[in-house]
Amino acid sequence: MITIECEKVSKSFGPRGSPHRTVALDNASIDIERGELLCFIGPSGCGKSTLLNIIAGLAEPTSGEVLIDGTPVNGPLPRKIAFVFQESALFPWRTVIDNVKLGLAFQQVPKGERDDRASEALQAVGLADFANHYPRQLSGGMKQRVQLARALCLGTDILLMDEPFAALDEQTRMVMGEDLSVLLARTGKTIVFVTHSLVEAVFLADRVAVFTARPGRIKTVLSVDEEHPRKQSFMKSAKLAEMRNELYDLLHDEVRKTMELRGEAGESGARAQSRGLRR
Amino acid sequence: MSMNVDSSRSLRPPRSLVKRRPRREERRLSPGMARILVILAMVAAWEIGARFFGDPLFVAPPSQVAVALVGLLGVKGVMIAVGMALLELVVAFAVAVVLGVAIGLAVGLNRFWRGALYPIIVTIYAVPQSTILPLFVLLFGIGAATKIAFGITHSVFAVILTLIAGIQNIDPTLLKCARAMGANRRQVLVSVILPSLVPTIFTGMRLAMAGVLLGVLLAELYVSSAGVGLYTQTFANSMQPAKLFALVTLLAAAAVILNELCRMAEARFTRWHS
Ligand SMILES: Nc1ncnc2c1ncn2[C@@H]1O[C@H](COP(=O)(O)OP(=O)(O)OP(=O)(O)O)[C@@H](O)[C@H]1O
Ligand SMILES: [Mg+2]
Repeated sequence: MITIECEKVSKSFGPRGSPHRTVALDNASIDIERGELLCFIGPSGCGKSTLLNIIAGLAEPTSGEVLIDGTPVNGPLPRKIAFVFQESALFPWRTVIDNVKLGLAFQQVPKGERDDRASEALQAVGLADFANHYPRQLSGGMKQRVQLARALCLGTDILLMDEPFAALDEQTRMVMGEDLSVLLARTGKTIVFVTHSLVEAVFLADRVAVFTARPGRIKTVLSVDEEHPRKQSFMKSAKLAEMRNELYDLLHDEVRKTMELRGEAGESGARAQSRGLRR
Repeated sequence: MSMNVDSSRSLRPPRSLVKRRPRREERRLSPGMARILVILAMVAAWEIGARFFGDPLFVAPPSQVAVALVGLLGVKGVMIAVGMALLELVVAFAVAVVLGVAIGLAVGLNRFWRGALYPIIVTIYAVPQSTILPLFVLLFGIGAATKIAFGITHSVFAVILTLIAGIQNIDPTLLKCARAMGANRRQVLVSVILPSLVPTIFTGMRLAMAGVLLGVLLAELYVSSAGVGLYTQTFANSMQPAKLFALVTLLAAAAVILNELCRMAEARFTRWHS
């Protein structure tokens, strides 16, 4: 069953007709199944974050629309969608537990229930002992786990994650990826996950949506046929290596395109080209 | 051989550079003690300078100032004048902070009004106000009102501008995060905007204190027919530098205490910060 439908979503930034106008997304369409983990992967600046924000109702598309369970999105849906940000989005003046409770407070969850759900979520990410610490006292990986706990305790069906492990070292992100896979198997949430790591994408995803260079469209969707929770053995398997290589080939050309646009002609060249395209 | 050893030794940097830096607990002189020594040295220099080289009509050594200070504490008129100045400082400070934060929030949080009013506020802030002090006296008379008003105009614009700048620096990710979690406008204000601005508000308060001290004392000294201004004028005209210095010391002590109170409140409320 489909839960998120993106229908020809386009998004441009900057005033219409201005040479500084950036077309970030150009008719991106994808259907996301309930309970799957879908990865967005693509060259930097191709519009992955933009599309994720539009799905979350945090940004409006210039044209096209997103449907969640058949209803068009026009604003945040805090009861359906939780968001994990790339950078630490923890409130520095609140303790870990108070950060986790904040979303529940916004949604007027009764106090007792709030405490229970927050403690449970902290337990789930292994940070129960740090409930009364402040964010600045945590490592990067711990901060992201707090963000994950905050998103989890909202109990939404959908979890959107924008490069949640990008700032972490490879070993930590591998372990966090394994945990996420276990969690997914247990909760059956729909997860959309942005990453730049080919291995991470194949290891975690049920499907990988490969973006084109900007303006971003979805070039191909690869399926990874492997049960959750994913095992260590899958990480080392030939199957993963093969898919990783396939993904590499798909992405390589797109990343080149992005770099060439920048390197060769610079801004003015890109502008001239986009004018040429418009004619 | 021994020549060799010697020459290689002479190539080493001098002993003092090689010596391991002593650990903190081993160091004999703590920064606090060094500070006290510097202050003592300054007081001693003043004492010696005033006693042996200064004109007793214009300068007094700290020992005499201390004696004069004790004497002043018994003069009712002086105490009333200083108390009045303190009261003006506190009132002007409170009004400047409350007004500054309120206007800063109102202007800073609204794109339209920020665009409209920001240049005006910057311009007024840049005008040197000492020149219009006589106008204040004309408007508000020679009482406390002039001094309070002058203290406020010296500080409120700095608070407003600090707040507007602080609002620009609120982490957009936190705002987005709150919206994603379902915060309404009031919740965003209470849970994101105001807490984000706590350090900014304290910066504003420190600036306000500096401005208020300047404005109120300037007006006090300018209006010399009563209050602190009258006494400074009298002591200066009658060549009583010890009393003059004692009065100034009293005012300076009040300023230091007020600033220190501000700093303590700041440390108390921004503990999460560093
Ligand atoms: N607020 C904005 N104003 C103007 N342009 C923007 C804005 N946000 C994004 N863009 C532009 O839209 C394009 C897509 O940005 P987006 O952040 O979605 O990329 P991304 O795929 O997430 O890249 P990355 O992998 O580097 O995070 C970029 O070229 C960027 O310059
Ligand atoms: Mg991004």
